[in-house]
Amino acid sequence: MSSLLSLKNLHITFDTPRGQLAAVRGVDLELLAGESLGVVGESGSGKTVLSRASMGLLTMSTAHRTGTVIFDGQDLSTAPRDTVRSTWGTGMAMIFQDPMTALNPVRRIGSQLTEGLRVRLGMSKKEARGRAIELLKLVRIPDPEKALRKFPNQLSGGMRQRVMISIALACNPKLLFADEPTTALDVTVQAQILQLLSDLRKELNMSMVLVTHDLGVVAGHTDKIAVMYAGEVVEYGETKELFANVRMPYTEALLNSIPRLDQKSSGRMTVIEGRLPDPTKPEPGCAFASRCPYVQDKCRTEHPELQQSENGHQFRCHFPLGVAK
Amino acid sequence: MKSTAPLQRLVQLLLVVVGSTFFVSILIRLLPVGLEDIYVVNPDPVGRAKEISDLGLDLNPFAFYFRWLSGFFRGDFGSYVYPGPTLEPVSEHITRTLPVTLQLIVYVQIVALAFAIPLGLVSAYKVGTRVDRVISNGLFIFSSVPSFVIALLLAFYIGVQLGWVPPLGYAPPFCSAEDIDSATACGFGEHFKLMVLPVVSLSIPLIASYTRLLRTDVIATLREDFVTMAASKGLSNRRILWTHVFRPSSITLFTSAALNMGALVGGALVIETIFSIPGIGFEIALAIGSRQYFALQAYIAIIAFGYVFFNVLVDLTVGLIDPRAKERRK
Amino acid sequence: MKFKQMGIFSKACVVWLGLVMFFVVFGQFIPLPKPTDFDIEAMGVGLFDSWKHPLGTDSNGYDLLSNAILGARPSMLISLVSVFIGGIIGSTLGIIAAYKRGKLDYIVNTVFNIVLSIPNLVLGLALVAVLATNPDPNIEVPTSRRVFVIVLSLTIVIVPILGRIARGATLSWSNREFVVAARSMGMKDSKIIIKHIVPNVLPAIYAVGFLAIGVVIVVEGSLSLLGVGIVDGVSWGSMIARVRGDLEFAPHSMLVPVTILALTVIACNQLGDVLRSRLDSREGRL
Repeated sequence: MSSLLSLKNLHITFDTPRGQLAAVRGVDLELLAGESLGVVGESGSGKTVLSRASMGLLTMSTAHRTGTVIFDGQDLSTAPRDTVRSTWGTGMAMIFQDPMTALNPVRRIGSQLTEGLRVRLGMSKKEARGRAIELLKLVRIPDPEKALRKFPNQLSGGMRQRVMISIALACNPKLLFADEPTTALDVTVQAQILQLLSDLRKELNMSMVLVTHDLGVVAGHTDKIAVMYAGEVVEYGETKELFANVRMPYTEALLNSIPRLDQKSSGRMTVIEGRLPDPTKPEPGCAFASRCPYVQDKCRTEHPELQQSENGHQFRCHFPLGVAK
Repeated sequence: MKSTAPLQRLVQLLLVVVGSTFFVSILIRLLPVGLEDIYVVNPDPVGRAKEISDLGLDLNPFAFYFRWLSGFFRGDFGSYVYPGPTLEPVSEHITRTLPVTLQLIVYVQIVALAFAIPLGLVSAYKVGTRVDRVISNGLFIFSSVPSFVIALLLAFYIGVQLGWVPPLGYAPPFCSAEDIDSATACGFGEHFKLMVLPVVSLSIPLIASYTRLLRTDVIATLREDFVTMAASKGLSNRRILWTHVFRPSSITLFTSAALNMGALVGGALVIETIFSIPGIGFEIALAIGSRQYFALQAYIAIIAFGYVFFNVLVDLTVGLIDPRAKERRK
Repeated sequence: MKFKQMGIFSKACVVWLGLVMFFVVFGQFIPLPKPTDFDIEAMGVGLFDSWKHPLGTDSNGYDLLSNAILGARPSMLISLVSVFIGGIIGSTLGIIAAYKRGKLDYIVNTVFNIVLSIPNLVLGLALVAVLATNPDPNIEVPTSRRVFVIVLSLTIVIVPILGRIARGATLSWSNREFVVAARSMGMKDSKIIIKHIVPNVLPAIYAVGFLAIGVVIVVEGSLSLLGVGIVDGVSWGSMIARVRGDLEFAPHSMLVPVTILALTVIACNQLGDVLRSRLDSREGRL
């Protein structure tokens, strides 16, 4: 399989009134064609910024990006704006967190869905309509003809998210970014949407980057996982390998914070103590040091590098778990 | 709000019509001068009493008002009263002058929106840049210059000194047989030539305030997820601005444009006087100047009805522009 | 707000309004040709053409500089007084109505809407024309009565404009915790309004008050132009009205009052705007 997306030493900083905010700090990632990657982290860990920046959607003048983004053999970090834009929709597409705010409230589903088809693929009105109905069927929306005429606020949350997925899939992208696609939905609908995404990915042979704060979400739906903390990838590996051999204390903490049915009801839910470090003031040592239960002196002074271990498993820790010293 | 809201609103709007005309009615009865002294000149006491009662001036202010109101709803808009007394129905004046003012106001709105919409979109899209600052600051100054100042300057420099267009006057857009017989200026060419200066004077301050309203809302819309979403489809910025950003940002703009119609009648009053346009504004000024208070009451009633009409129009159409607006009202 | 923190444009506006106010107060004491004295030897002198008449004269030989300086007092006083009185009446009504809610609020709000439904200028014109009438139309109404009527009419125009702002601000403030707390502790309504509501509503009224001064100056100018302003006075509006007829002989004679009037309106609007945006950012932080 060939490399579809590769990020090399990607840095994103924002100008803020309090100084430079480093949202993403030197991320290297590789995604193969047809592969799915889960990007996991707390809010503020830089995962959403990472996905938007990989697509080039951060257009505000306060955002600065360095490093390279190569998509489908094309270096997008140096390419002109129009070239980058030409990959959107047809090459890469994105599903946003809240379908209520990501669908234009004043336009009907039909026009929002056919717009990309007509502008990007040059379809006629009739062709686009036919394809739109096909797409709505693909995301399992009952009575698609009727749905085309509706406004976003006339659909349920789950239906809206299905519509958004169909819009993202409209121009057959090779890579789909899904930014917290289930966070804004009811718990009962979340599983359905995740299953749908998983199925569609296999059906259409797409690659997918699934961004979430919930390790439980990615567990069953992605080939690989990258755990992010304070703008860095702190653990990376194949899903099975990573769950079997958690090396990074932060990942362990994340796992413990998932509420589980098999836990005793009296047991309190574990939350990770402390807060993310201030992104405007980088610390010299490990970013997780202040919250890590296993912290040692070295962690506070020396920044850990990403280490490779067997099966492509990578982690950023001086004292990884499960490794005898 | 409950489902009675539209009804309540209608009641309130009707109160506006009744209140404003009642206000005028009371006002003219409280004149330091009795209306009978102005309108009735008959020295014979019997004739005088009859004339006073014909005009309803012997009634108390409330009865006087209800007489006027019931007449108004039966289509009797009252009369110009000349000594004698000779009556001349106000409705004749209205049918002659109202269309002229409506032409003027519609042109002004079209011109103002045609400039304000692109300017507002551009300055919001380029917020904080030099383009935005030039547009915003330049327009701010224009928005503060009274339209009669612009009108006087234009009439003199463009109309008189440069002579590009006639400095004053009006020509109807369609020629009637009479116009042709009497060789009065008429037809589209003449009509638009004479309308240019008044329309420009009234629209410049409007362009400024409309641009400002739209800019604020567009800046807010540009932060919405659905704009990023539209971008991620690979659409061009121009397309995104027009098809995704403009409509959800335009509610305030169109609402205030509709509710501005009344204020524009006030603006038209001065502008029509300066440019000698026989519109309803000019007619109101004339009526006030020649103490035609019955006519004044009819004009105020028409303006109040216009106010109500445009309020209802806004209520009814706002949901068509933005389906969210309906939900917010609930 | 500190003068130093303002933008250059706002500073210019403050300076301009300061100058205008200086002329309002001290204009009478500056040795200038009286506005009623006309210079028969210098009719239609252009801008900056003569040392004796720096801004020139109009076609009748009236000195434009002295006219403009002395015109500041009637123009500005009429505006300031009517905005001040109208502001006090309007905000009192608005605050009490919004605080008490219920029927009183409905009535006050309806009255505001009624007055607002009539365009400023039509209302002003109607009031002036109705209130300043004589049985015999050929006898001039005395200036003092005219000024009184104009101020009264403009006050009526201002009441609902500022009243609505006060009402809106009060509605949002009267639900804040500290007001509810004060009420639950049995504080008297009048005391709550004075101690808690008024200080918070005032900034919004100041901001819109500046804009209202601009509105009133324009309406006053328009009234003069329509021939119902202060006819024999020398307000800026009446200067414009006087020279309108003979522009061809001395075009600059209109340029002078028109520019001064426009600059004053721009300055008032700018300061009102600065106050309002500062207010918005303060509210935003809460």
